Formats: sequence, structure tokens, C-alpha cells
Amino acid sequence: MPGPVVPSVLQRSCLRTRRISPFRRGPAAYLQAQPGREQTFLKMHRMNQRILGNLRALDPQARRDRPAFDPELRAGLAIVGGMFPPTVTSDLIDFMRVSYAGPALDTLIGGRSIRCEERVFEGYGGHELKASVFRHEQASGRRPGVLFVHSGGLMFGDRFSGLDRMIDFVELLGVVLVSIEYRLAPEHRDPYPREDVYAALEWMASHAESLGVRLDRLLIAGASAGGGLAAGAALAARDRGGPRLCGQLLDYPMLDDRGLTKSTRQFDGIGVWDRVSNETGWNALLGDARGGPDVSVYAAPARATQHHDLPPAFLDVGSAEIFRDETVAYADALWNAGADAELHVWPGGFHAFDIFAPHTALSRGMIATRRAWMSRVLGD
Amino acid sequence: MQELLARLKALDPNASLALRIIACFDELVRGGVNIHGLLGAAASLAGCVAGYTGHESARTLRVSPSGQALKDGRADWRVGALEADGMTVWLERHGPAHVNDRMILERLALALAVRSGHQAEDPLRRLGDLLDADVDVEQRRATASKLGLVPRLRYRVASLPLFATWKQHRELLEDVVHTRLGPLHVCVLPAEVKHIDASPCGIGVATAIDDLHRSLATALVSLRLCSVPHVPVVVADDYGGLIDLLAQCSIDRPLLDVEELEGVMQHAWAVQTLDALLRSASIRDASRIAGVHHSTMQARLETIRDLLSFDPLEGIGRTRVGLAFLAWRVRHSSALDLPPPTCR
Repeated sequence: MPGPVVPSVLQRSCLRTRRISPFRRGPAAYLQAQPGREQTFLKMHRMNQRILGNLRALDPQARRDRPAFDPELRAGLAIVGGMFPPTVTSDLIDFMRVSYAGPALDTLIGGRSIRCEERVFEGYGGHELKASVFRHEQASGRRPGVLFVHSGGLMFGDRFSGLDRMIDFVELLGVVLVSIEYRLAPEHRDPYPREDVYAALEWMASHAESLGVRLDRLLIAGASAGGGLAAGAALAARDRGGPRLCGQLLDYPMLDDRGLTKSTRQFDGIGVWDRVSNETGWNALLGDARGGPDVSVYAAPARATQHHDLPPAFLDVGSAEIFRDETVAYADALWNAGADAELHVWPGGFHAFDIFAPHTALSRGMIATRRAWMSRVLGD
Repeated sequence: MQELLARLKALDPNASLALRIIACFDELVRGGVNIHGLLGAAASLAGCVAGYTGHESARTLRVSPSGQALKDGRADWRVGALEADGMTVWLERHGPAHVNDRMILERLALALAVRSGHQAEDPLRRLGDLLDADVDVEQRRATASKLGLVPRLRYRVASLPLFATWKQHRELLEDVVHTRLGPLHVCVLPAEVKHIDASPCGIGVATAIDDLHRSLATALVSLRLCSVPHVPVVVADDYGGLIDLLAQCSIDRPLLDVEELEGVMQHAWAVQTLDALLRSASIRDASRIAGVHHSTMQARLETIRDLLSFDPLEGIGRTRVGLAFLAWRVRHSSALDLPPPTCR
């Protein structure tokens, strides 16, 4: 649905009494006035299409309708005095790679009885990739296994990014947590990231014995971009007859490359990850294919049309973030196909608010709710 | 958040952390956050357990930096306990108190008092009242005199984001004030002061004490016209009645010429080109100011004419495009966005 801006520009220019440029009168008129300049016409036409797309995306009404942030989160924002860049453009990728690097291992483990072992698995095309395997020091025998796919907008982050909350499950439920590196865009475009993740899942299943993982309790988890990749791997595992999963944990997942939802337009230039950042991420992964007809459902699971026979899903998201609508829609599609899904929309929450301000009531609610589901699906 | 506070200090040693702590608790009070939440914020900021005991209720609550309520029991290593309004608040820290501990406890105690209904407002802070047209004028005058303002003199209001960069921070009449743009750093200056060594900063028009809310409104528009690093400070006086006009209209609602201009502004060259066209008498002048060839300027002007329903250089069209451009700059201001960290 175009915003009010677009009709006003077009209608008003048609109502004009001034001379209308040959370009405005279409290709035939333009080429008559400027013979042999087909390429120029196409270039100008493409630029105009892009501008119209941008104007639609601006949608001032959507921005006025957006839900306010939760008061405790607003108080947190007052401390940083705004937000860390809501808009990630491609020139910020290098900076984000440095600033978004995961914490040191010691900090993550924080004196708990958790051991970390470094392993190597074969990613897409046989390329060797790193995996960190975390297990409880007292763990014996085979334990439930969690494959974790990190966040970072498909362009940054490493296997330690945002691992704080996941590593709790090693202590709480005694799971074996495998956190993997996957290759990042734009250097490695689709299918590299998703096929690296799928390869990790197969590796984990085929090495279940040496990893000490129970094959009947294997779960995939991911946050943000990792949530999208995890959902994609669950679809792929079903379609390819791959490892059987007992659950998919999708934290505020990045599912849809098309950017057409209202929530995508509501948080332009605000929040942790806005429309432009999202386009930067998807463009890095898909290039010109973004938004077109040839995007794989494993890269953008929002495009899936078959939702049967998928593992039980847990989805959580904030009401004040761009991924709200695609997350709700994915849960809805799962229910419509008779799948098991649990959805929580946290009011006034922006993207990844539980990482930004874990002490708030909203974050504690999100963390406790997620734990309850994990305990139900994976716990002894 | 403690990590954020530390990281902030490392990035910007001149950051006015005290103001940010005030703004943080303001937001909590405005949002009606409960006692557990208030203690959680204090603990998270301090990086250690925060506790309180209500003298009347004999209720004790201790909250960890991760927001968990702890089992009752008194800790031995309280630092800087503060008694106020029938309660005691404290932080539990080994070793000496940190720089911000005192400030955190003061703001926590005030927020708890408001939450418990002991106190309706903060006796230390009145600047917000002075700038609020809804407050009775007699009360505003009384506040002004308590703050040391002289009734027959004129003053102006400056507004800055909490993250503004200060080259030099002198002693000023300043506070965090909640505006419709969120909590902002606000200063009241004598009319003759027209500069602050901070960026970005909007300085409002000079008014009598009774009209300081109008000075604030023009300061907010001026702030939104800033564009760091090119335009660090905007003084409302430089735009005269135009800023007053913008201050009194709802810029974020649809405005005729501004909607048309949105199309033009999608071009990367638009800001520089319109600025040059508006500051010059001829296209030749404009191309010189913008530093582009005359034919380039001519081509851009053609594109602008194609996208607008009026000629921006003819008659009233000049005024229309000028005002629309100013309104567009306010609407799309990035002065209140935290600058990308690469700039810091």
C-alpha cells in the first residue's frame, strides 16, 4: 500500500500546466527527442523506480503509528543518549565487525563449571569451519544437543556473539551447546551462510557420539539473522530428509528479504536494526535477487509455502521492531499447517532488547519464558 | 547498562554522565516503573546490588545488576547509604564508592519517593517548570526568581542532545527537560549569549521570562536544523520569523510543498543544490556556491522542475521551496540520532 506521499507527487505533476519533459511522456517520446539513448532512458527509469520505492518505504503514517518503547528500555536509551547506529549501511560493515565481535571466552563462562572444546567441521563445499562445543563439567553420557547460529545481520558477528543467554542452558539443562562460524556476506553470498549452517547440523548429527549428543533431543537455535538461518535449516532438514530436530528456537528472527510489512516501515531510523540496515543485510546476502522471484525459502523462510512436519517452534519478538510482523506471520503459518508453535510478542520491546538491558522486567520475562520452553523441550 | 556506562566513559571522557543518569530516572518515573524496576536500574548502572528499606512499611528489597530480587538479609559492605523521605537506599559494593554512586543513589531515592507517593516532584529541579506554558505564570515567575533570573532581563534557551560533544562546559543554568523529542539537555542563557561550545546545539530566540517556553520551541527547531559536523550550532535569530513559524506548526504531519520536495530530496545532490539555489540570485551564482559546472546545475534544476508542480525560481515559488526545504530539514533531521561510532 503506497503512502500518501506517492499519489500526491504523481498527481500533482500530472496536473501541472508547465511543459512536460519527454522522459515523463514515456520511452517513445523520449527516444524521439533523444535518438539512440535507450541506455540513458533505462538508467533514468531505474533511478526513478528506486526513488518511488524509497518514497513508499518512508510511509510517514506508519511511523506515526509505531508503538512506543517500554519505559525501562527508554531509561536505558537515555544512558547511551540515543542508540547505537540504527541504520547500518554497507560502509559501516567493517566497523560493526570489530564492535560486534563476541566477548572473550572467560567472560562468557564466568567461573561456571563449563568446558569449551574447539572443533572443526566441513562447511558448504568442504571448507573447514570452526565450532565451539560447550558442556557441563559434570555431564556424563549423551546429553541433549543445541546447535546455535549467531546474530549479526548476515554480515558480522562470530560464534561468541550473543552467546551469554544460550550458554546458560549448558548449566541449567546440561545441554551440549555447539556454536558455529558460518561464512558471512557480502564476501560469501547465498547459499554459503545457510549451507554452512546446514552442513553444521549434519555434522552434529553424524558426530553425535563423539560430541556426546542425544539424537532424539537435537535442537536448532538462532537469534536475529541466525534465527532466520535456523528456521531455514529446519525447512531444509525436513525437505532433504536430514537430521530430525526436536525444536527450533527463533529469537526475533530475520525471515523476510522483501521488506513489505508495516513493522518494517514503522521503525525507519529508529531502534537497533531498521529498514535500511535490513536492506543492507539482505542485499549483502542476495544482491540483485533480493525481493525477486528467485530467492530460496532456506535463505528467506518467510517465503515458505509448506509448513507441515516441522519441529516445534518457539518464536519471540518485540512489538517495537521491524521483525514483529514477519515473526507473527511465520508463527501463524505454522499453526495453519497444524504445526506446534509458541509465540511471544513483548510490548514496547526493540530488537534484541534482552541483550541491551537484561535487568528490565520485560527482558526478565522474555528470558524466563524462553527458558521455560527450552526446559520443556530439552530438559530431563 | 553498567557496561554501557563504562564504554561510554571510555569513548567520550567529557560525557555528561550525571545528566544521563538524571534522564534515566526521569524516564523511569514518567513511565510509572515500580520499585523493583527502579532498584534494578540503579543496580544495573552501578554494577552492584542496590537495596532499599521503607521505614514505615519495614519492607526491604535488594536487586542484583541482572534485575533479580535477592533473598532478604543485610549486606555488610553497603556504600553510601542515603536516608531520605522515610526510607534508606544503598549500594552493596566491596571497596570504595565509585564516582557516580552518589548521583545514582540520589536519583533512586527521589524516584522511590515519587513512586511511594511521598513526594510529587523533585525539589532540586525546576527548569522544566520554567519552560512549561501549562504551569501558572505566577509560579513560573517565582521559580525564575529562585533560580536567580532577573525579571526585567531577557533570556534564551539552548537545547542539546544528551550525547552532545562539549569543547568547554562552563557553569550554566542547565537541566534535563522532557520535551516531545524525548529528554534533552536544556540551558537558560542571558539574551546576549549566542554561542555554546558544544555540538549539536540549537539556541532559541531571546524572550522575557514569561515567554521562555517560546524560546524553548525555537531552540528545538534550531537543534533539528543542526547537521554535524557541517552545522554544529544553529541560532534561531538567524532565521527570524521562519523558525517561529516552524516552531508553531506540526512538521511531521503532511505539508503540501514538503511532500513534493520529498521526491527531489531522494537525489544525493539535492541538499547541496537546493542550499546553493536558495542562497544565490542566479543559476551561475548557485553553481559557484555548490562547486559544480553551470550545465550540471542547469540539469539538476530541470530535474527539480520536473518533480515539483511549481517553478522554484519564479516569484512566490522561491518562498515556497525555501520554506519547504527548511521544513524538510527539520523533519529529516539526524541531529538527535547518535552519530555513527566511527565519528567518535
